[in-house]
Amino acid sequence: MFSNFKERFMTALAPDLPPLPSNDRSDHHHRRFGGQQMPDKFPYARPPFLQLLTADELRASADHNVRPIIVPRDINLLPWGTCLPPSASTRRRVSKDELIIGALESAFFSMDSLIAQDSNRYRDAGGCTACVSLFIDGKMYVANAGDSRAVLCQRRANQPTEPKDSSVIEPDPLEASCYPVPFSADHTPETERERLLNVARLKPHLMANHYVAMEYAKRPHIKDMGQRILCRQGTMKGWTYKTLTRDDLRMPVVNGEGKRSRLLGTLGVSRGFGDHELLAINTGIQIKPFLTPHPDVRQRDLTQVVSIPDEHNQDGDYGVLVMATDGLWDVSENEAVSRTVFQTLSKYPTEKHRYTMVAQELVARARGKINDSGHWRLADSKAAATVDDISVIVIPVYQYYKEHIEWTQNYTRDLEKRRRRAQANMAQEAQEGNLLNGVIAEEAHVEEEEEDGEVVVLEAKAQIQSEPLQLPHAEAEEVLVVEISTSPEQSESRESAASTGTATATADEEASVTAPASQRDSATVAQQQQQRSRKGNKGKH
Amino acid sequence: MSYAYLFKYIIIGDTGVGKSCLLLQFTDKRFQPVHDLTIGVEFGARMITIDGKQIKLQIWDTAGQEAFRSITRSYYRGAAGALLVYDITRRETFNHLTTWLEDARQHSNSNMVIMLIGNKSDLDSRREVKKEEGEAFAREHGLVFMETSARTAANVEEAFINTAKEIYEKIQEGVFDINNEANGIKIGQQHSPTNPSLPGSGGAAGAANSGCC
Repeated sequence: MFSNFKERFMTALAPDLPPLPSNDRSDHHHRRFGGQQMPDKFPYARPPFLQLLTADELRASADHNVRPIIVPRDINLLPWGTCLPPSASTRRRVSKDELIIGALESAFFSMDSLIAQDSNRYRDAGGCTACVSLFIDGKMYVANAGDSRAVLCQRRANQPTEPKDSSVIEPDPLEASCYPVPFSADHTPETERERLLNVARLKPHLMANHYVAMEYAKRPHIKDMGQRILCRQGTMKGWTYKTLTRDDLRMPVVNGEGKRSRLLGTLGVSRGFGDHELLAINTGIQIKPFLTPHPDVRQRDLTQVVSIPDEHNQDGDYGVLVMATDGLWDVSENEAVSRTVFQTLSKYPTEKHRYTMVAQELVARARGKINDSGHWRLADSKAAATVDDISVIVIPVYQYYKEHIEWTQNYTRDLEKRRRRAQANMAQEAQEGNLLNGVIAEEAHVEEEEEDGEVVVLEAKAQIQSEPLQLPHAEAEEVLVVEISTSPEQSESRESAASTGTATATADEEASVTAPASQRDSATVAQQQQQRSRKGNKGKH
Repeated sequence: MSYAYLFKYIIIGDTGVGKSCLLLQFTDKRFQPVHDLTIGVEFGARMITIDGKQIKLQIWDTAGQEAFRSITRSYYRGAAGALLVYDITRRETFNHLTTWLEDARQHSNSNMVIMLIGNKSDLDSRREVKKEEGEAFAREHGLVFMETSARTAANVEEAFINTAKEIYEKIQEGVFDINNEANGIKIGQQHSPTNPSLPGSGGAAGAANSGCC
């Protein structure tokens, strides 16, 4: 009743404001629907590309006893997005790279605020980490926020084996030739201790006397009170002494080590989307101010990769990108993952679904097997397998690059053809002595291009290019002065938005797997795992 | 839709014998001549009626390729029934039955009902395995046997339903511990006495209901 009154009162005072979230109404809902105060934005579901469309399929796929590994039936259903690189503005000396990285970064921030908006409208606002790879303009970009990880698995080409002394046992060639290159850095309270402590130091009110923004060489005890202990704070690299006071006995902003490190004693990850409403265990302090959706973006220029065609080692030279949630990385070293990738690929050299098989194999190994007493164990050791969810995306980088080259060549050829045609027209019209018509034809030509598609070619620039260039890369540099109608920001945030729905779906302790074999040139694959909101509250993370 | 029981099935057998097509014929009543390779596991479901009771079949369709064998093994867990399928036009798929059976027996619960299925019975002109051979194999290993055609739908219904009947009989005999979900059987709401207000809880659960209020 009181809430009702309050709402009316507020509406009278400020009729322009949206009505307050009414406690009264939600109480009714609470009673009626068991805590579902707001509607679901997305019903519990899997990503659409997994095609688990019926409730029955969905239920079967969530069998916690068996933990089935779900693979996409049709990789063409993956949320591909194709776009062209933005044109570099020379005025502010902003490079194309910076524009693309900026697009990724701002997409992450947009996504986070989108989730914030949703959390006021829909039930079950959680949080997730995000790992995104973007192939554009012959380059690969990987943006990551949180504890998912992207690793480029590479392999050196086999050396031409000389007949050696057969008595020498040769080491496993895979063991020696595979190597992982990290393409993201995990953002955990431990790895981001410096940033987190600095936030706390600069804004002490965020801790409200419950925590201490200090790192100690040794955990302070009440018996050490008044003694001098080694500590550091903020962005300090070294250690200094301070006299231990009662304040030092508070819980540190970051506590625990390694995988068990926690932010405000609650959350095991320090970047990502969502969690706007998450409160710290016991203290009820807001956690979001310490989190950021800001991704680290790493890039690789695929035009610089040296790969000798005769060696048939494109996957090794360009690498196979494995993006996965912490479910995989908790139990698998990067090295082991890259070995598994190339072991599986060389075992099935012609299999159509070989990259999907790699992904499935990685999930199967991390999931392990269930023993008689119902515990999941790794196959190659007795160690406990992960009970976390495991999502793996395997991306054969060369396939993307190959399409990029083909696309560029076709594009250049097409452009050249049009240019010749235009020139021929002009020459003909000039012969007819009607120069004006020539100019009009030229303008019409440009307009036509605008209508054709998303691409606006700076015709003048192409015209100056008098002779066809030989190197495809150089061609790309010259010709790709284009603008895009869909800005990468937009396409990115759409991408992320689409994936967020799925994020809530894979929250449980199942394994799912995705492996796109490249079919598109510039495609974005976003992968996120919602996993924290409830677990966070329970303190498992 | 509520059901009295849910049975989990698994379909196994060599690659290309028609496992996915059998499932599709059973759940969707259609035949797809070109079916993509099953990589991991796919799911299907259908409601059937046995002895007046609604039974939901949850069917796990597995990959037959050797490469996926170890992953397939992990899906036997908690299956109440298995359809072991071979292709009557390919002798080798019949020869591999022993390996499949060993796998199934080793990784499933001992009460799992196994139905042996010789598929593609419509291709009688290309037959390599005689019906009698299938029958003999089934007899020898204590399986139920049937020849089916996913293309013409011949015996497809029967294969799934007869397996369910067998499981149902075992439940009636008390062989299955229906409260242990590892047996691949789940009791539905039609049976649940704890939810008297839910629709569909009459009938089978009527007796239980009377006790609670």
